[in-house]
Amino acid sequence: MLQNIVNALVLGSSYVMIAVGLTLVYGILKILHIAHAGIYAFGALFAVYLCEIGLPLVFAVTLSLILSALLGMIIYKGFYKHVLDRGRIVPLVMSVGLFATMEDLYRLMWGPYKRPFDVYIDLPDVMTMDLYLSSRGLLMLIVTAVVIVLLYLLLMRTKLGKSLRACSNDLGLAGAFGINTDRSVAFAFLIGSSLAALGGILVGLYDNTVYPTMGSVPSYKAFVVVVLGGFGSIRGAVVASYILALVETFVVYYFGFLLPRDAIAFLTMILLLMFKPEGLFGKVRR
Amino acid sequence: MLEVEKLCVRYGKITAVDGVSFSLNEGELLAIVGANGAGKTSTLNAIMGLVKPHSGRIVFDGVDITHLEPWKRAHMGISIVPEGARPFADMTVIENLEVAAMNIDKAEAKRKMEWVFELFPRLAERKKQLAKTLSGGEKQMLAIARALVGPVKLLIMDEVSLGLMPRLVTEMFKIIERLKREKLTMLLAEQNTKKALQVADKVCVMQNGSIVLEGRPQDLLDSEEIKKAYLGI
Repeated sequence: MLQNIVNALVLGSSYVMIAVGLTLVYGILKILHIAHAGIYAFGALFAVYLCEIGLPLVFAVTLSLILSALLGMIIYKGFYKHVLDRGRIVPLVMSVGLFATMEDLYRLMWGPYKRPFDVYIDLPDVMTMDLYLSSRGLLMLIVTAVVIVLLYLLLMRTKLGKSLRACSNDLGLAGAFGINTDRSVAFAFLIGSSLAALGGILVGLYDNTVYPTMGSVPSYKAFVVVVLGGFGSIRGAVVASYILALVETFVVYYFGFLLPRDAIAFLTMILLLMFKPEGLFGKVRR
Repeated sequence: MLEVEKLCVRYGKITAVDGVSFSLNEGELLAIVGANGAGKTSTLNAIMGLVKPHSGRIVFDGVDITHLEPWKRAHMGISIVPEGARPFADMTVIENLEVAAMNIDKAEAKRKMEWVFELFPRLAERKKQLAKTLSGGEKQMLAIARALVGPVKLLIMDEVSLGLMPRLVTEMFKIIERLKREKLTMLLAEQNTKKALQVADKVCVMQNGSIVLEGRPQDLLDSEEIKKAYLGI
């Protein structure tokens, strides 16, 4: 039981990292930024590449986060920004195309095969009679907890955070109160993309594997989390990440022979939407 | 202070504002009245930068702001109370005000907050309450307060009385009168013609996107024909 809960917390943490950025972007621009998962994969692949050429892990991660954040901003400034007034379908199709292109580029740059993320983590494994948590799992839990606290402080206590929340509430009107909305959206992409990259790195470390298409499944899962949490709600995305992970872990543990893990995620989403169509923390849309 | 010249606003093939021109001096209150769909909101939104004009020119404080982004207009001192109040629903009352006061220094922001809480004591009691949980009247108060805490020189108000009970409408117009006494320049769009004429220095009557009549309130009220044909009073 305890082992399952801890496993679910680790899995949920990986969902948090990718879903929060997606929610941040959706909350403001109301577009589904599927290419976000491409940044998730980029963060992990680039960090592995930097480690392979001899950079220490901390520098590799820092550089990878910076570049991923910039990549996210380039996607906004270079692509989405020009089609925001053309409804939601155009940016969505563009996003899917970007994601597919990014995966192909990664194959060209780093090859199609799985690569190990073989670095030393200076944390102990947690081992008791009924629990095993690897140092990499522990790292995932610690980093996610720190990120959640920092994100909360950023959104609730800083001018940037309040600007982002105002944009999320009413992007059209936020500008009328002196908020440079274009800059706020760019910051949302910077923050969201660096979180996605961090998620990719942590998952890469935990699984000791990175590969060009590693963003595919998380992109669907992040979508489920965003819908479950209520479109645009950061708090909802965090809670939904852990609920989904708990449901997946326990259903797989007790009824694993019935459905694969990903099908459980979508079934959970469908069931919840039948009874609470606005998601856990979303606004009721009429 | 504000000059609008031959302003046109179009939504696709529909012309919402068709060659509207007017000017507003410092300390004046101009009321734009007219029926629903006359083009009042589109005119105000174009001045705030929330819609792009198809043609025409808007000059504020001697600067051509026709193509300026809304946030730059806000920094120049244009502020808006939008139709339907539209507070930032998932933020508290105080956070709504803090967002609008970001562009002024801390001491000035503090002074302005105290001032708006004095204008609207009910908001002071609900500082920590989420805007979406406020009543319709309180949301409107918050919208006015939010527009006032910034570096406001020109206050644009769009249908502040819409959907409010008569007692609250009277309360809102008392606030407008007080702001007028404090020499704030205001542009007011209203369907409640009677109330608008009581507070305005100048009136423009809009119909089908154009100004069909303008003048001093008393001049318009003196003509029974005008009252019947355009003002509906």
